[in-house]
Amino acid sequence: MTEDHFVIIGNGPAANSAALTLRECAPDTRVTMISRELVRQYKPKLLPDFVAGKLSEEELYVRPLAFYKEHGIKLRLGQEVVDVDFAARRVTLAHKEVVGYSGLIIAVGGKPYIPAPLQVFEDFMMTLKTISDAHAWIERLSRTESVLMIGGDLTSLAFTRALLSLGKNVYFILDEDSFWPLRLTREIRDQVAQRLVSRGVNVVECRRLKRLARVSEKSVEVVTDTDRLKVGVVGAFFGLVPDVKFLAHTGIHVERGVLVDEHLKTRFDGVYAVGIALRFTIRSFGIIGFPSGTVTLKTSGRSQR
Amino acid sequence: MSKVDVTVEVCGMAGDGTIAAGGLLNEAMSEGGFSVLGFDSYPAEIRGFGRCVTRSRIGTNEILALDEWTHVLISLDDAQSRSRIPGLAENSSVFFDNNPPVYVRERDSLAARVEPGTALYGMPLADLAARAAGTERGRNMTALGGFAAVFGVPEELFHKVITRKFQPKGAKILEANLHSFQAGYEYALEHFSDRIRPIFRPPAKPEGREKVMLSGNLAIGRAAIDAGLKLYFGYPITPATPIMEYLAAKLPETGGRLVQMEDEIASIGAVLGSFYAGKRAMTATSGPGFALMTELITHGVMAEIPAVILNAQRGGPATGLPTKTEQSDLHAAVFGGPGDSCRIVIAPTNVAECYHYTLKSFQLAEKYQTPVIVLTDFYLDNRVENLSVPRAGSEETADWNIYPDESSKGDYKRYALTESGISPRSIPGADGFSFSATGLEHVEKGTPSYSPENHMQMSEKRHRKIRNALADLPAPMESSPEGDLEVGVIGWGSTVGSVLEAVHSARERGHRVGALKITSLFPFHEGVIRDFMAKCREILIPELNFEGQLANLIGYLHTKDVVRFNRATGVPIAPSTILREIEALIQAGGR
Repeated sequence: MTEDHFVIIGNGPAANSAALTLRECAPDTRVTMISRELVRQYKPKLLPDFVAGKLSEEELYVRPLAFYKEHGIKLRLGQEVVDVDFAARRVTLAHKEVVGYSGLIIAVGGKPYIPAPLQVFEDFMMTLKTISDAHAWIERLSRTESVLMIGGDLTSLAFTRALLSLGKNVYFILDEDSFWPLRLTREIRDQVAQRLVSRGVNVVECRRLKRLARVSEKSVEVVTDTDRLKVGVVGAFFGLVPDVKFLAHTGIHVERGVLVDEHLKTRFDGVYAVGIALRFTIRSFGIIGFPSGTVTLKTSGRSQR
Repeated sequence: MSKVDVTVEVCGMAGDGTIAAGGLLNEAMSEGGFSVLGFDSYPAEIRGFGRCVTRSRIGTNEILALDEWTHVLISLDDAQSRSRIPGLAENSSVFFDNNPPVYVRERDSLAARVEPGTALYGMPLADLAARAAGTERGRNMTALGGFAAVFGVPEELFHKVITRKFQPKGAKILEANLHSFQAGYEYALEHFSDRIRPIFRPPAKPEGREKVMLSGNLAIGRAAIDAGLKLYFGYPITPATPIMEYLAAKLPETGGRLVQMEDEIASIGAVLGSFYAGKRAMTATSGPGFALMTELITHGVMAEIPAVILNAQRGGPATGLPTKTEQSDLHAAVFGGPGDSCRIVIAPTNVAECYHYTLKSFQLAEKYQTPVIVLTDFYLDNRVENLSVPRAGSEETADWNIYPDESSKGDYKRYALTESGISPRSIPGADGFSFSATGLEHVEKGTPSYSPENHMQMSEKRHRKIRNALADLPAPMESSPEGDLEVGVIGWGSTVGSVLEAVHSARERGHRVGALKITSLFPFHEGVIRDFMAKCREILIPELNFEGQLANLIGYLHTKDVVRFNRATGVPIAPSTILREIEALIQAGGR
């Protein structure tokens, strides 16, 4: 008899929620979380405060490492799933290890989104998705005084505040697509610009970013259709997209995320997707965050027993 | 410069180049100015299979022992390295080959077993080595390259030691190893750029004598040469063989001779013969060989002939655990053999003492005309420490023979009864000083006698002589605060380093704890030991044997039972293990 073994790919809120729910609903099931991230679950929304020095790294973490052992959850950090064989029910890791599963939960979270026209400048931009990114920002900010913010996702305004608190000179490109997928009307854009300026942000109103070029060790030249300026570093904040490239040739339905039904099941038996990795086949469900992990596993955990 | 204290393990299958990699790591870190203590563990079989492990403790402060936990594991064979996982410290780092020739199952995977706080550095070791040098054999060097890059060890340090090791083997082999190292170094810099932890920035090298990496065995070999050794007789046995190998190469350069004998009995016989004829000689063996020597050792006692015998202890009894460490020949060294055969037994505690005590053993043997047994063990013989190049002062190589004066010519009493018990010894062939030397009991002239009174008198003489040798033997060294102690820890041999570190840690935690290092095991300094015991509420004696052999020897000096901590595991006792015992004793006393 083979044991029940749930493999969860990911280590974010959805993955953790799924693991804990499994522990609750199927206590005899072996649970393994595999994450490319080197660190345990943390609170990404606190990263700007961490960069600003208002929090210690320890305060970012949700729970101690010992928690996983105590709860019988095998947490495998810094290990990347590169392939899934749904027929054989096994995942392959980058270091050529094969792990079998009876149930699989894809909860990989997202990666920073860079709009296609800007991807050519990707090397000049920094993002803030992980603790590792935060450390890179801290290091970079220690030797630069000005930052250009591009994009207006949930993090960008908080990070702008963090930069201002550090005394940095902040530029913010504002156009009608800055807060994509919301399109800003002229009126709202003016209100946003006014608020930013009142806090000391230099608003750059333009229609198009034409060029980024490193001109020295310490500065990047930014050319827009209206301005030309030099800054120390450029931050890109366009939200996240599901990081599911490893599923590309596995036969699973992937659009912007893994397609699932209303029970978060994929078309393969025993395979689920939760969190940012999923995309519903019924669009009217809209976006469901990490609680979906709990919902799914309360069903799937029982069905596996 | 922040304090560094890191233990690194290299683990692989025999033939993977594990020991070579560990050795180069030790050399490089020593070149960088760090304190290093390294120890290898390998299978007893000649080659082909079995786990090899090197452990290196590297630090900015003085290092006296290996500790319990490993901070960095370099795996050259994951199947072998899996067993090392339980010994990893929290937040340790593991280097491994992430592109093995075949896919591995979860249950066979090294990565599947590590704790989540462990940093995994997967590198295609074999591929990198093959691309860099045309052969996968250099993957041990590739792994070292990864280690150096991640932990900020200047690559030049490794270049230097790799060159030193492989240059004698030709340019092709040297280049292959250098290229393999560099491939790993550059791969790690590129792929682990966000995980570089440059903790090994070399400290400023102190002015003074050059430091070398030296094993206990090598130190003994060097000391023997410096002592003016003329003849070495031996039969190979682990862990003493490297002494013989070293002397086989070096002794002829100084005009000496090394003879591989048919067995250990012949070896000790030849050593006694050489000293009898006035030439410094020695043999080195391990427990099973020492057992064979015991009858002739007592012949040396009875005939009062000097001899130097190095007993490199290993796990016993019998063939036992040839490549594991143990301190279980103490009884045999002190009491082994027929009759009341008192002899001198000394035990160095570190590599420097291996050198100086070997020098001393020749002088003691000459002056006290008796076999001197130098007790080491696998852990001490095979561990490497970086230390200033040891050199013998003229006083350490001086001739301690006590020759008869001219006035006794013609009426020479080889075994004259003297106050000190030492009878001046003539070298055979000296005109007017002829004598007979025999294993039979004898009178002052050397002729056999079975008289009860004579046997009593001569036995007393021989024991008086050995008792008086205490004056020339190294006294116990105490490391204690003033006043009474909660716990006193007594150590000997290779365990002393762990004892001293444990006691130091206990004192840092506010405990009143002291240590006593005993290096003269027979005769021993009763008074000093008794005084130390008197001020300790508890006496703890950690030993690498099952019977508590030192506790058996000196335990009677304490007013109550000593606490024995006997470990017959074949592996060294870590300081942290002793610290736990100390704290348990303190807690038990506090209740």
